[in-house]
Amino acid sequence: MKTLFFTRALFVCLALLGLLMADPALAAKKSVKVGFIGPLTGGVSANGLGGRNSAELAVMERNEDPSAKFLYEFTALDDECKPNIGVQVGTKMGADRKVIGAVTHYCSAVALSVVDIYHRFGLPVIVWGAVQPDITYGNDYPEVMRICGTMINQNEEAAKFMRSQGYKKFAILHDTTDYGKSHKDFFSKYLTENGGEILGVFGVTSDQQDFTAELTKIKSLNPEVIYFGGLTPLGVRIRSQMDKLGIKAQFEGTSGIKSDAFIEGLGKNLAEGSLSFIEGTPTEKLPGGKKFLESYKSRNFSQGPEAYGAFAYAAMVRILDAIEAVGPDRKKVTATLNATKDVDTLVGKVTFDDHGQNIVPAISKYVVQDGVWVLWEDSEYGSGKRRLKH
Amino acid sequence: MRHHPSRDLIIPGPAGCVLMATALLAWSILFLKAEEQIPILVYMISGSLLVLVAALSDLHKSISATISSNESSWDKCMTLTLLALILIFHDDHYTLFLLGTIMVYATAVLGLNVQLGYTGVINFSAASFFGIGSYTAAMSSAAGLPSLPALLLGGIVAALVGCVLLLPVLRTSGHYAALVTMAFALLFRVFLEVNEWFGGPQGIAVAPLTLFGLDFSQDMQLWGIEFSFYVKYDLACLLLLVLAFGFVRRLERSWLGLSMDAVRCDETAGACFGVDIARWKITAFTVGNLLSGLAGALYAMMLAYISPANFAFPDSLLFLSILLLGGMGNNWGVILATVFVVVIPEKFQVIQEYRYLIYAALVLFMILYRPMGLLPRKARNYGRLS
Amino acid sequence: MELFLQFCINGLMLGMMYALVAVGFTLFFGVLDVIVFSHGDTVMIGAFGGLSMYWWLGAVYPGLSLTWTVLWVFLAAALAVTVVGTLVARFLIMPLRKAPPLNTLLATMMLGTVLREAIRLFFPDGSNPKPFPHLLPEWSWQSGSLTLRFDNALLFLSGAVMIVLVHLLITRTRLGMAIRAVAQDEEAAQLMGVNFTMIVLATFALGSVVAAFAGVMNGLYYNEINFGMGLLLGAIGFSAAVIGGLGNIYGAILGGFIFAFLQTLGAVALPFASAYKDVFAFGSVIALMAVRPTGLIAEPSSQRV
Repeated sequence: MKTLFFTRALFVCLALLGLLMADPALAAKKSVKVGFIGPLTGGVSANGLGGRNSAELAVMERNEDPSAKFLYEFTALDDECKPNIGVQVGTKMGADRKVIGAVTHYCSAVALSVVDIYHRFGLPVIVWGAVQPDITYGNDYPEVMRICGTMINQNEEAAKFMRSQGYKKFAILHDTTDYGKSHKDFFSKYLTENGGEILGVFGVTSDQQDFTAELTKIKSLNPEVIYFGGLTPLGVRIRSQMDKLGIKAQFEGTSGIKSDAFIEGLGKNLAEGSLSFIEGTPTEKLPGGKKFLESYKSRNFSQGPEAYGAFAYAAMVRILDAIEAVGPDRKKVTATLNATKDVDTLVGKVTFDDHGQNIVPAISKYVVQDGVWVLWEDSEYGSGKRRLKH
Repeated sequence: MRHHPSRDLIIPGPAGCVLMATALLAWSILFLKAEEQIPILVYMISGSLLVLVAALSDLHKSISATISSNESSWDKCMTLTLLALILIFHDDHYTLFLLGTIMVYATAVLGLNVQLGYTGVINFSAASFFGIGSYTAAMSSAAGLPSLPALLLGGIVAALVGCVLLLPVLRTSGHYAALVTMAFALLFRVFLEVNEWFGGPQGIAVAPLTLFGLDFSQDMQLWGIEFSFYVKYDLACLLLLVLAFGFVRRLERSWLGLSMDAVRCDETAGACFGVDIARWKITAFTVGNLLSGLAGALYAMMLAYISPANFAFPDSLLFLSILLLGGMGNNWGVILATVFVVVIPEKFQVIQEYRYLIYAALVLFMILYRPMGLLPRKARNYGRLS
Repeated sequence: MELFLQFCINGLMLGMMYALVAVGFTLFFGVLDVIVFSHGDTVMIGAFGGLSMYWWLGAVYPGLSLTWTVLWVFLAAALAVTVVGTLVARFLIMPLRKAPPLNTLLATMMLGTVLREAIRLFFPDGSNPKPFPHLLPEWSWQSGSLTLRFDNALLFLSGAVMIVLVHLLITRTRLGMAIRAVAQDEEAAQLMGVNFTMIVLATFALGSVVAAFAGVMNGLYYNEINFGMGLLLGAIGFSAAVIGGLGNIYGAILGGFIFAFLQTLGAVALPFASAYKDVFAFGSVIALMAVRPTGLIAEPSSQRV
């Protein structure tokens, strides 16, 4: 009996080995590791998982490409959106010499805490979702680059646009995370510079359910626009509670609410006319955008790519391209990535400035029209057929 | 009466300690070095099998007898084991960081142990006091205070802030006391996030530890060997842990510890025999917060960057579950459980988004089936003090 | 004046929600002397159960009248939560009855995490917020800055009816008598022929139905539910039950409204920043505990030695 078992086991092993040997591509190519870090558990995990899937998709596609020089191994680590865990996994990735490049971080606080470590270990990373300006501009590290824009660009554009639409009085709501607070700071700055008036600023915690107290106060201030700096879950709650209280003001959000979940969460009618601003050109408008979405769908990920998935994908493609060009060497890959200029990617043309920041050519303005996020210029609002609330 | 086989099986004295420490060291090296999932699993299963065998046979009795009869040699052996681990992994930044985290967390939980394990003072805001230490270190070194005073200040401020909670903590008991500290933990994080003075939600950078002109954040070379900068931090953490451990062990054995036990076991009876309940609760609460604060300050310097997200209510729960897993009141249990809680999720990054679910379920089962923890606290033993 | 009234209405709605959750906490504490911290997440399960039912109804019986839909949604929520609640009681709470209170507290906190993460991972697209359908008539009455909505009034009233029903059940029925007997002295109750296990399970079923109601009410009020909604709701429900005095239903209701009042007051009256409202509310709770260490309506049994 025992011998039979061992014979069988041996046979299975041999068969597996044979399979491995039979695949010439697998045997011939050298394996290279690339990484991804983002929040995979907890409150913002939807974005983290979307980013991870998108980055993994880039690696899968490259591995299916027979002309690729290397076999890429994908490792994803969870930073839980907590700086201490971020330092832990950042150290792990940085210290692992086999990892040549990584696409990292959605949460700004985490990114800020880990940039020193990437510099220390010389690991080139491209930040895919964290938008705090200091991540790139607060240091001179060549290793740290960012493909998404900072919140500076976004809010400058947003403030100017809202003023051009004739709005003057604003009430600001923001969540008290780094994302919401920094958005509030930059938007307030550009709004007052452009002659807008801020009637009140209200901070809310990121797990708050009930906003009726804040909104009632806002209602009595009677603003024309309610600006919300924060992510989709809170955006949905605030917009729907505005309706409950009969607040007629225009709702304006940030990149954090530009997700299908926002419209799904509110329903078509309530979401109608909500505004959002996001860096880069819309995915489906770009060459390869459709292909990306189809390819993503075909892999049956449990979660959609969300707002920043395309950035993670584009960043991973940049890293893979650089490795293909100069080989698996961190220093050379860093230099190649730093020299990125006018490269076509999924999120538009990418150029890194001397801080490694992608100089995003345009901020896209979106408005919800009939249950879809539509680019402002293409929308009936933009053409004057429909009107925002005044 | 049944004959105790353990009496025959005792591995003789200090030599036994050395033997066990060496075995532990070897296993830890193999486990920490392992990166692929299969070896990790193999080491974990073999390790748990060994423990199981020891628990089912009478081996565990002889092991614990050896340890308790040679405590000072066992303490020395374990310190040397940790030292050896630090030196062996001298250029492996990640493992060193994990080791440092373990030691810092263990120090903080030792503080919690004084409160909850010794005295029975419930504290659901351990991570908040840890955080007060971190933020004090960050703010005071930013204001130009040298590292060592900043470190000490971290502990002192944590203890002082704890005094604010003293009145409600003293007056309440059971679930009511749990609520007071829980409310503090929830309040603390929101407070850090909404005010401007402490860096707000995006956090704040912390100056590295600098002692006697030695910058802890630089790698160094000695005798031609590359040492990670974490080696220095780990040595500092080890020093803090050894000091804290020695302190709480002495506390436990002294009459102070005895009074604290009396407070925990039966307040009324204790008070009848002249034990001043309030006094010992205050002492325990303050000493515990002091330790948490010190550990937090050192952790902040090692991390170099802190933010409110590190010190939220779930982190307090993490500290508490470490204490409960290890065995309330048992300091060795605390260290063992810290190793588990810090290392195992890290070694299982492969399960990614399911990590937290599985972690919570494991703790749940642990509480159900081994409510006294991995190493339950034993009755006092004054017989074999060396 | 209108503004003040609006704040009062908001606060009352919020308070009713908190009170319903707090009643569950206090019921469980009454019979078993345990805090079931996962109760907030049970509320979340109720909301998701109701939503699933709504989806199913939409697929199988399109065009069902609103009244029936609401009824079915609530029934499904109650069923889902009762199953979860009694299973938890039988296999987690009862075995832990003799364990130190801290163990139960931590175990139920971990259970809350398990429930939360399970919904996040296994409910379709669970990590994103879900829209909860509008199922109540949306008439509203406006006067200046005051908006009175019929659906809110309906929710508030049915919440009040729910509490009255629980109260009647506890004070007027044989089951209620048995529950009170177990709460007072479990051994004596058993000697008098009360089936202890059954009563505990019945209490958990009762608490679960209230939680399911709170969950559906939450969904109908905010029209949005998410996997994390139970965490803060649980913490607040627990706080409310404790400041009211554990084991006392009136205390729980009082506590719920006090907490809502504190939060609304914090958001409205703090001159510098409304973001401090949770700091203010929880700070007040700590201060309150220092003054009344066993809650506003103290449980008599806490004096036993």
